[in-house]
Amino acid sequence: MDLSQYLEIFIDETKEHIQTLNDQVLILEAEPDNIDTVNEIFRAAHSLKGMAGTMGFKRMQRLTHDMENVFSEVRNGKINVNPDIVDVVFKCLDCIEGYLSNIVESGDEGTEDNEDVIKVLNDVLAQAESVGSAPEPSAKEESKQETKADDAKSDAPDAKKKYLQIPIADFEKNAMQDAKDKGMHVYATTVYIQESCLLKAARAFLVFKGLENKGEIIKSVPSVQDIEDEKFDFDFSMFVISEKSLDEIKNVIENVSEIEEAVIEEFDVPSVVEDTTPKEEVSDKKDVKEQKADKKDDKKGAAKAGKPVVNRSVRVDIEKLDDLMNLVSELIIAKNGLVSVTGAMAGSDQSFNEQIEYLERITTNLHESVMKVRMVPIESVVNRFPRMIRDLSKKLNKEMELIMTGEDTELDRTVIDEIGDPLMHMLRNSADHGLEDTIDRLKLGKPKVGTIRLDAYQDGNNVTIEVSDDGAGIDVEKIKAKAIEKGAITEEQAEFMSDKEAVDLLFMPSFSTAEKITDVSGRGVGLDVVKNKIEGLGGDVEVSTKLGEGTTFIVRLPLTLAIIQALMVDISGEKYALPLNSIVTVEEIPSEEIKYVHMKEVINLRGTVIPIVRLNEVLDLEPVESDSELDDDDSLIVVIVKKGDKQAGLVIDKLLGQQEIVIKPLGKFIRVPKMISGATILGNGEVALIIDSNTLV
Amino acid sequence: MDNNVSNELKQYIILRFDSEQYGIDISYIDNIVRLMPITRVPHTQPYFLGVINLRGVIIPVMSMREKFDLPFKENTGATRILIIKYEGANIGILVDEVKEVVTLNDDDVEKVTSDDAETRSYVTGVGKYNETLISILNIPALIVDIENE
Repeated sequence: MDLSQYLEIFIDETKEHIQTLNDQVLILEAEPDNIDTVNEIFRAAHSLKGMAGTMGFKRMQRLTHDMENVFSEVRNGKINVNPDIVDVVFKCLDCIEGYLSNIVESGDEGTEDNEDVIKVLNDVLAQAESVGSAPEPSAKEESKQETKADDAKSDAPDAKKKYLQIPIADFEKNAMQDAKDKGMHVYATTVYIQESCLLKAARAFLVFKGLENKGEIIKSVPSVQDIEDEKFDFDFSMFVISEKSLDEIKNVIENVSEIEEAVIEEFDVPSVVEDTTPKEEVSDKKDVKEQKADKKDDKKGAAKAGKPVVNRSVRVDIEKLDDLMNLVSELIIAKNGLVSVTGAMAGSDQSFNEQIEYLERITTNLHESVMKVRMVPIESVVNRFPRMIRDLSKKLNKEMELIMTGEDTELDRTVIDEIGDPLMHMLRNSADHGLEDTIDRLKLGKPKVGTIRLDAYQDGNNVTIEVSDDGAGIDVEKIKAKAIEKGAITEEQAEFMSDKEAVDLLFMPSFSTAEKITDVSGRGVGLDVVKNKIEGLGGDVEVSTKLGEGTTFIVRLPLTLAIIQALMVDISGEKYALPLNSIVTVEEIPSEEIKYVHMKEVINLRGTVIPIVRLNEVLDLEPVESDSELDDDDSLIVVIVKKGDKQAGLVIDKLLGQQEIVIKPLGKFIRVPKMISGATILGNGEVALIIDSNTLV
Repeated sequence: MDNNVSNELKQYIILRFDSEQYGIDISYIDNIVRLMPITRVPHTQPYFLGVINLRGVIIPVMSMREKFDLPFKENTGATRILIIKYEGANIGILVDEVKEVVTLNDDDVEKVTSDDAETRSYVTGVGKYNETLISILNIPALIVDIENE
């Protein structure tokens, strides 16, 4: 069978399982007795193993298999969770991730056997053996039972064997008997689908399809039609005639994902009722071996209670979404064109205008909907951080905890993909440089465990993510000294530098104040990369710090990259777009109110001194000559923009109105100045440049 | 043999600047459009006139005259923008006039030994067509040069 078409699904699902495992093992570390967590881990590990096996990734399968065994023992109470086990499991997860990244790159799992990890896992298992009173020697045995699983194993209650209650008509009995006479097997099975499964009909269909390749389904309850129409609960039973072995049939069913369990056995045609041949459970065959039936049923119940809520979602290729977004962009441009044409037509028809307005509403709604489709909760990025902080805590030998809020805050998919590394860097920074060593913290009378916070929230058209720590804070003088030492600034400059400016030095390339270089951070590449990345996404980064109390990095990101609201302005006869999200107000300032501070123009707006930027100068344009002598230089139109808590006033000539604009790149070969963040196409087909006011503040 | 001969034939678009004629290998040409409004981009390379909107895609446009240090000339009805496709991106070149498409045999194109001025590096060879000389432009050199600046 060609499996390549499933590779993508495999990769996605494996990622999900690894994430689940990481999350759950972290919980387990905090609450070693949490049986729900153990069940969850066991289930994820089991699925991983099954999927790896199906796809033919033998090394990955072997590793997950051993990991699953360990959790099987934990579940049986033979192993108590201790930090060593948690460490091993995390190591194990890293190895699986290694396999996965190999698979992503080359479609092959690679050749790393990870024998050391497997050995440690088996040592753990062996210990359990010697401590517990296992009825069978398990570690070695278990690696074999993959192939032979039809021995007496469990006493799953007969209730599970729903096929026993199915009345069988004579002709069906005959068919079965005929098959038996021909040396074929007749199997009866009841398949249970996970209750969280959304497309149970589809899963059932896959089971049918798989079985039809192996043999013939002579009867199913409910009927195939009803199953296709989803007219069944979470189980269905059937009788299959096949010449294949029980294992093979069972595997076919097992390989369909979201199948909870398949109870299957060789069906004895004449003696349906007294049948007592041992049966087995597919999903639990490992622990079944050492478990007593009653105990197992308890666990089952618990497992069901702790089932995760599955998102109602469809996977869509991001490229398709990009196409959709492009089409919406085109539509908006076309709509803007139509609007500007109607604007030019004097006294146009009333109903025509209504239709235009209707079209405008629809395109705006359409745009919003498409944007929402592209929005992804930042959870998918930040959920790997608790694990990272845990590892850092061990590595740096500092006690710390990570508190995250607002994981459900949503950002455009393209932003999400890029934001992971910068955030990780900032967290590492906080852990390494921000937090003091545990001993120092105690000396300072601070809580022993350092706190790192990651708070995300939506703020208008922006999403703000704050990474903060309650550590030592940034020593401004130390930064200045370092900057002077590196020749980045002169002593004179340092003297006049505000604290804020000094802290901004941290974002300069190759600037690290860490006295000792660790492999966690402090190699001098970092914050400048973080800043570049975030600015590349149209966002900005700011630091606020208080010596002795901690540091906060504030990252602001635009909700979306492609379409924004902008204020269209005229500067010396050229049209420019100013993104609305950075505009505070638009003011008309009499020209005599302009004052000079340090040779720079400023205005005093309601008590705040704001520097003035004449955009025509910045853009290399001649100032417009005043048409009339009367209101010569009477007043200036100033657009007040903000970046963080800083403001600036941009002088323009005319306001042209607010408009939804589609951001486009300027092309490959042209050098674009920093203050231009892109271009947009206006309704009449003209190109207007977009001014990035952040670079002017 | 036939194959060999046809391999040596190449089509060129002939442009005119003042009295000089230049040829561009037709495989680089994506499109030829009439002059349209060009939006100036501040603080960019001096030979870039700005950007245009070609069916929803924004394309930078450079001036051949600026690039070759030729004297400024008003645009006329014959002025065209050649849309070049190179390395997956588009770039426009403003030219005085597009004359015709000619087919030249490789034997008719003499390679230029790059001995003198900068302008020469933009020319790979000189072809002869109907008794006139045509300088064959080296498009990658024009573009790579742009990237380096």
